[in-house]
Amino acid sequence: MKINRREFLSLTGKSAAGAMIFAACGLPEKELIVQSPVGYPEDLVRGEDAWYATSMPDYANGDGVIVRVVQGRATKVEGNPDHPINRGVATARYDSTLQILYHPDRIKEPLSRYSKSGNVINVSWNKATNDLRNMIRDSKDKITIVTNPLRSHSSYVSSEFAKKFGAKNMYFDPINQNTQQHTLKRIFDLDRLPHFDIENSQTILSFGADWLSTWYSPAQYNEMYGAFREGNGGERGYFVHVDPRMSNTAASADLWLSPIPGTESDLALGIAYEIITNNLVEEKFINQFLSVIDFNLNEYSTSIVAKKCDISEEKIKETAKHFAKHTPSIAFGGGSSEAHTNGTFTTTAIYCLNILTNSINTKGGIIPNPESVLPKINSTATGNSLADWENEINRWSNGEVKTLIIRGADILHGMPEFTGIKEAISKVENVVCFGQVYNDTMDYADLILPEDTCFESWDTNIPEPAPGYQVLGTQQPIVGQTMTSDGSGVISNSKSFGDLILQISKDLGENIGNDMESMIKGDLKELHGNVSDGSIISNSSDNFTNGILQRGGWWNLSNKNKNFKLSTKGISSIKSNSDFSSIDHHSDEEQNSGDKHHSSDFFLAPFISNSILDGRLAYAPWAQQTPDPISSASWSTWVEINSHQAEDLNIREGDILQIASSNGSIEALAYPHPGIRPGVIGVPIGQGNKNGGRYAEGRGSNVLSILANMRDSESGALAWAATKVTVSKTGNRRKVPKMEGDVEARPVEPGVPVLVVSPNETAKEAQEHNHHQYQKELFEKKDSKSKSDH
Amino acid sequence: MTTDVEKFGTRNWGMIADLDKCTGCQACVLACQAENNIPINTEDRVERARSISWIRVERYWEGDFPDTKARFIPIMCQHCENAPCEPVCPVYASYHNSEGLNVQVYNRCVGTRYCANACPYIVRFFNYWDPVWPESLRNHLNPDVTIRSRGIMEKCSFCIQRINRTSRKAKSEGRELEDGEIQTACSAACGTHGIVFGDLNDPESRVSKLRNHKRAFTLLEQFGTDPNVIYLAKIDPNKKGSEEGHH
Repeated sequence: MKINRREFLSLTGKSAAGAMIFAACGLPEKELIVQSPVGYPEDLVRGEDAWYATSMPDYANGDGVIVRVVQGRATKVEGNPDHPINRGVATARYDSTLQILYHPDRIKEPLSRYSKSGNVINVSWNKATNDLRNMIRDSKDKITIVTNPLRSHSSYVSSEFAKKFGAKNMYFDPINQNTQQHTLKRIFDLDRLPHFDIENSQTILSFGADWLSTWYSPAQYNEMYGAFREGNGGERGYFVHVDPRMSNTAASADLWLSPIPGTESDLALGIAYEIITNNLVEEKFINQFLSVIDFNLNEYSTSIVAKKCDISEEKIKETAKHFAKHTPSIAFGGGSSEAHTNGTFTTTAIYCLNILTNSINTKGGIIPNPESVLPKINSTATGNSLADWENEINRWSNGEVKTLIIRGADILHGMPEFTGIKEAISKVENVVCFGQVYNDTMDYADLILPEDTCFESWDTNIPEPAPGYQVLGTQQPIVGQTMTSDGSGVISNSKSFGDLILQISKDLGENIGNDMESMIKGDLKELHGNVSDGSIISNSSDNFTNGILQRGGWWNLSNKNKNFKLSTKGISSIKSNSDFSSIDHHSDEEQNSGDKHHSSDFFLAPFISNSILDGRLAYAPWAQQTPDPISSASWSTWVEINSHQAEDLNIREGDILQIASSNGSIEALAYPHPGIRPGVIGVPIGQGNKNGGRYAEGRGSNVLSILANMRDSESGALAWAATKVTVSKTGNRRKVPKMEGDVEARPVEPGVPVLVVSPNETAKEAQEHNHHQYQKELFEKKDSKSKSDH
Repeated sequence: MTTDVEKFGTRNWGMIADLDKCTGCQACVLACQAENNIPINTEDRVERARSISWIRVERYWEGDFPDTKARFIPIMCQHCENAPCEPVCPVYASYHNSEGLNVQVYNRCVGTRYCANACPYIVRFFNYWDPVWPESLRNHLNPDVTIRSRGIMEKCSFCIQRINRTSRKAKSEGRELEDGEIQTACSAACGTHGIVFGDLNDPESRVSKLRNHKRAFTLLEQFGTDPNVIYLAKIDPNKKGSEEGHH
């Protein structure tokens, strides 16, 4: 029996009768499946798409990506499965880069400001190039070129330019890792960040660094974390994370330790004490460890440390046991743990734990990375320290810098106000800014040059950290300039930073190279002559070069750091410096005068946003809308505060709080939760942009602006987690824009939204257990109710 | 009794989400947003609980400081075999296709939102407004995916456009699809390879093997919806096992 859709609808309208008819007729089930009658885009294959392999420097640490291009438009970014850094996986930032490429507020043409207080006007590239050329010619030896930390042909061009024109290179990273890198050089003589062999570890002990979200190479670390959880190193790995605030990384840990901020060094040494006094590792490693410290380890006994850090002794013992016994194990740290005035001591204590477990240069431990495969390109880069920046800002104030060129860094947004950067930059005669969207620094620029995105320009990227062997990522233009919809012009008449610097250098008689494309291809051909193995092997240098570009880079698994030797002779003695002075003390008067509602001292724990980073992606609506993993908030600046403490202070979610340090104040929305230590508040970095286009402008607050002037005594790095603040209610409230609460929880069992099992338990057993537990609690409640009724 | 192959044809698409690997990083959420032309969730829409997110990562707190735990779970359309959203649709806009997918026919949908009411997983989203992108941002829209207009219900499609594109490519090359060849946007993006997509009818596929894992469970099993999304439970080494629990 055949039946069409109309008849079917008619029959079903007769309800039970319809059902009986179907049953009686034995209608083939397939006939009743109502399929879509029209062709949707989803059902059709429209033309060919192409996936280009490239790499992303500014938002992804040089990760390898593949970009889908359809009819000349980039539509999707995914991890490059071939690339050894991220091996196909992505982060929550990759696709947002498309929105920088097609941003509705992209700078269309070069902009020029005729007087320091005047407005900017559009100028032609001819005029802009002429102006820049004149500025450089007239400022020889009085030029500073500021970029974000780069490991690429752009950084080569930038440094060569600096050499030729007597300029100074400065690197800016608002949340830099100076202290950790300083420590790694000092104690292990490592010139560049090592590979943390997470996937082959059995125990990970990390401090402060939010490595699953924003620290260095999250895509690489996430990929390895998946293998770590699967038991690549033997059985499922055990992970302990130390951070006063529950970060995205801390949330994934098996054990989260939340010490008083600044006491991380005590905790690391307390763990060492526990391992040593209980002989949990071989004696030779204990002796090696003891030979490098020149203080009495008994000062770090478990009981003393537990009290000082406010962590239970049991947890310290458990951590020590896991770390020592379930090997290979690895200890590393940075982030908030190094951002105190005792940062060098803390990171030294953390990394020296690896001596106890023989985790240096061993599988599942810390693997030194080799130098760059292209000698002209640096394999490591970090932002300059606060001390360096203060010197530089002084030069600006004193008129020692006549032309300042800035690329890839919004220094006015990222630099704390106490540095006096605003006044200083106003005194520089020529300020030139490259960028895609008008940012806060551009308010001080005399010349603003629209710059290509990484999808429009040639470059290379050496990822840091490398995966233990040499990797060179290539970046190629995967789309050309995009026309506006009415065909009147292009979205942005941008140029590549590298190409422009090369052209101007050449115009001024200094030939660094013709253009980025020919320079990179030339270097790849040279590489062909220097290497005999690796990811691309070909007799022809052209094929070799094309192969690299098609695959997104070149790497060689056997090119490791073979010269590294761990020697205690190379390790300077560790001097105790646990008396950190990370508190920006307010006077009693200040503390009492602030707020009539409630006021209290808090450690300020700024953290890099998972989606907008330090503000680099604040311009992209996708990055703005992405829920924060912990608070689920978006589009705003919020303050994370312990829920019990908030209750005591009568602070409710959505209260607008004023956060005041000795260097100013900001406002943000209260978000109480149980994953943060009482006495600590967490505030995301990245918002509070005065400019930045329609999606970023005037949104939230810039927590970096109120940081206190404190630094690590040895590295000179900004102690950005050491500021103490007061928190007070403004009396105003606003709904926190967040995903949480949009939908109700759907428990597996009542009160159990996410099923959790013990290592040997099955899901079914856990469900039954939860069910029994729930019934037990239910009956207990009923019992107590009936007793109270009686 | 019919076999799965008789019921669904040769394929029955399914997904595994390993909660022990989920770090809550949101890579899947953004990848889905970009792949499926989901409108920008502006601040206003988020505040009014009107944002559209075909996949979301929910975070639940467990315990109290200092023993707080945060648990993550990605939630998307579960593509139920017995989907409660299907029989309630008066115009058959929500139906089950021959490959096990719960599919939404946009041009049939009249916006009653009955399906959203019926769905216990709350993964169906109503377009309260026409989607709007600034002109230049329309460049990154995916031409393979319909832009849904105001008044239409939408939800995760298991990236049906990718299934179709890859299947046709394999067919044109005269070969069978390989396991893992089709990746949804979320599974491709997942930082820890915690989301796996594949054919549940293929006994050799990764999803088929993982669905029998001892940690496998489905959400709201008691409702009998028989979802095609299977979760692997989070492991907590500090949790007391059931043998120490209720006995």
